[in-house]
Amino acid sequence: MKKQPNKSALNLKCFCLYVATKTVKRMETYRVRGSTIKDQRKLLLPLSFGPSSSSLLQILDQHIEGQYARMNRSGYELFVVHIDVFLDPADRKDASELLEKYKSRFSRHTYSSFGLEKALLLDGIDWKALDVPGPEEAESKKPATERLQHLLGSMSSATSRADIASTLLTRLLVDVAKRHDCESILFGESTTRLAEKTLTETAKGRGFSLPWQVSDGASPYGIGFNYPLRDLLKKELVTYTSLTSPPLAELVIFQEKSSNISASSKTTTIDDLMVQYFESVEENYPSIVANVVRTSSKLKSLTGNDNKGCGLCGLPVAEGTDGIYGWGGDQNSDSRPAREDDQYGVLCYGCSRSING
Amino acid sequence: MAPALCAICNDSRALIIRPKNHQKLCKACFVAIFEAEIHHTITTTSLFSPGDRIAIGASGGKDSTVLASVLKTLNERYNYGLDLVLLSIDEGIKGYRDDSLETVKRNAVQYDMPLKIVGYDELYGWTMDQVVEAIGKKSNCTYCGVFRRQALDRGAKMLGIKHVVTGHNADDVAETILMNLLRGDLPRLARSTNIVTGDESSEVRRSKPLKYAYEKEIVLYAHHKKLDYFTTECLYSPEAFRGSARSLIKNLERVRPSAILDVVRSGEDMAKLVPEQVTGISQCKSQKVSLSSADGEEEGAGGCGTNGRDSGGEMADMEKKLKEDEKASSREVDITSAVSSQTSGQRHDRIPIKPESGKTRKQESSRKLTRQTLGTCKKCGYMSSQEVCKACVLLEGLNKNRPMIEIEVDAADEESSTLRRNMEGLALAAG
Ligand SMILES: [Zn+2]
Ligand SMILES: [Zn+2]
Ligand SMILES: [Zn+2]
Repeated sequence: MKKQPNKSALNLKCFCLYVATKTVKRMETYRVRGSTIKDQRKLLLPLSFGPSSSSLLQILDQHIEGQYARMNRSGYELFVVHIDVFLDPADRKDASELLEKYKSRFSRHTYSSFGLEKALLLDGIDWKALDVPGPEEAESKKPATERLQHLLGSMSSATSRADIASTLLTRLLVDVAKRHDCESILFGESTTRLAEKTLTETAKGRGFSLPWQVSDGASPYGIGFNYPLRDLLKKELVTYTSLTSPPLAELVIFQEKSSNISASSKTTTIDDLMVQYFESVEENYPSIVANVVRTSSKLKSLTGNDNKGCGLCGLPVAEGTDGIYGWGGDQNSDSRPAREDDQYGVLCYGCSRSING
Repeated sequence: MAPALCAICNDSRALIIRPKNHQKLCKACFVAIFEAEIHHTITTTSLFSPGDRIAIGASGGKDSTVLASVLKTLNERYNYGLDLVLLSIDEGIKGYRDDSLETVKRNAVQYDMPLKIVGYDELYGWTMDQVVEAIGKKSNCTYCGVFRRQALDRGAKMLGIKHVVTGHNADDVAETILMNLLRGDLPRLARSTNIVTGDESSEVRRSKPLKYAYEKEIVLYAHHKKLDYFTTECLYSPEAFRGSARSLIKNLERVRPSAILDVVRSGEDMAKLVPEQVTGISQCKSQKVSLSSADGEEEGAGGCGTNGRDSGGEMADMEKKLKEDEKASSREVDITSAVSSQTSGQRHDRIPIKPESGKTRKQESSRKLTRQTLGTCKKCGYMSSQEVCKACVLLEGLNKNRPMIEIEVDAADEESSTLRRNMEGLALAAG
């Protein structure tokens, strides 16, 4: 088997077709069918400007164009959302300029962008648990970006910081999707990324949440989660961005190679380690990467009526399994830090770990 | 700067930073809390009953030495009423076990516990050296691994003991969880987090009281209690998946110390999410392979000390099998779905299995998987996921190729060597 597609014109076209086919196959629920324009479904596509979400936008843009060409209508429309995770004004300016480029290249869709600090306005989050003033009391205080910076800065490790930030991002996306009547969120996560996520979430004590994090279908948030790129490797998507014409790569922000990540650095996160790990597995054993995802996708979520939602991530927490205390691995009250989280509502193990250190 | 005080007693100087949560403790408080936590694990899981005879799988290494020491301490402190016995396995590799068995013999004296060393010769009729002689060096690791997995159970049965405790720690359990995710082995993922394997009906139960104890804390405990253990320079390279998972665990711990415990917790939670009938395991081929090599529980590595293992081999083999399966299944896709054969062009080989496509495969594998619960071997009666356990299969092969006369000679040798060893054990225990 070839690792890289040949650069001959035929294979090039063939490779792009291969990538598109694998993606579109996962979109079968959104075929045109006998629907009228009115029923057209609205789907949120989170765009991070990375190779995967950019590729997804390109592929679906062509898919929709094809539907129009053949049937003069499309089975779905895209609402493209960029969440700004950088708080620096200069970064924000770059991001909005880049988003404009996407808009003019894929002009059929609607676009919007939000700063991550908008998540601080969500009322479905137990802000007390995070030691942050809630939305109602927040208005008069410091600017939201400053408050977000303070919140993330108060976390005990880089991993906790990244964990809370990505949790807030998901919740913000869900909120935006709901407010804009989107039926589903189309995440641009590749096989490789889903394999990373399987192990990352496991390592963060979030194993219980995997059924909702790697499988297509209804999420507990009352909105669908879909992963149309789940059958493609990250390296295939990176290749794809340079093969489209015009090359998508000029709009894409690529991450630096992770080869120089060191476990002894204070800023290294569990997520970083897994990116690095799967980069090498993907290189030599791509089928094993896919097999990890197939495996974790088989886990079935527990359905219990007495499940409460976690005050932070919002995922269902089975009765008696909340928090990092009081399970088999928490063997001694003397080993607990002074701070107790009794005064808070329900937090899942993973969120509790990030907050309590 | 004034020296920090211990976070628990607030009295003595803190000399230890707990690896698990970076709490600063004095030596006495660390030792106390380490023991208290294992006591907590034992009591909350009702691991033992008064009067139980317990065999401690003792290798002379840090984990089993700490386990023996802590169990002795707790048994006396809390009146567990346990009858503790050290049980060691001698694979019969000349020179390999000498130092570690010497350590175990000293431990028997130090802890005033009876020691039983059983050899592969007694258990299987073959020492590892004889196996190597018979089949060559090439696949002897398979034999050693399979024999090793059952050796403690068989040894315990010889002693009439129904419960073996092993020194598997939190790092080992976490490693096994990640490894099973990487291997795509949900059935074993579901089993690997149990503190006990086997139940009242099994001939021999196995448990791991150190399940939540960090390896680094075990080393610290051994150091501060001045325990006598043997630092193995392990000649064995773990198979690729385990080796890979191991280095991942070490890095995770450095980035976030709680990660080991968090992986264990995730594993416990995920075990509840594994569908009862793990159907649709599309890799029926590789599944079969991994099952048959996994009689009983395979956790915590352990080497046979013989060299020559290709450490990348296992991953490469699995990659190859998965690819073959993909190919086979994509052909099915092409037959069943006109669309895909039209669009996928020449890239059949890259189409992974779609769960809906291979119906026949699925049924096939689910039939296989129903037999997957741990039962007992028809021949020898030990825990096995197959009708005849792997050890018995291997033994049958070995014995077929062995001339009768040789067996007799060896049997005699074995008896005398066992006798000699027992005498040594006695002599040391007495002295
Ligand atoms: Zn949560
Ligand atoms: Zn103290
Ligand atoms: Zn057997």
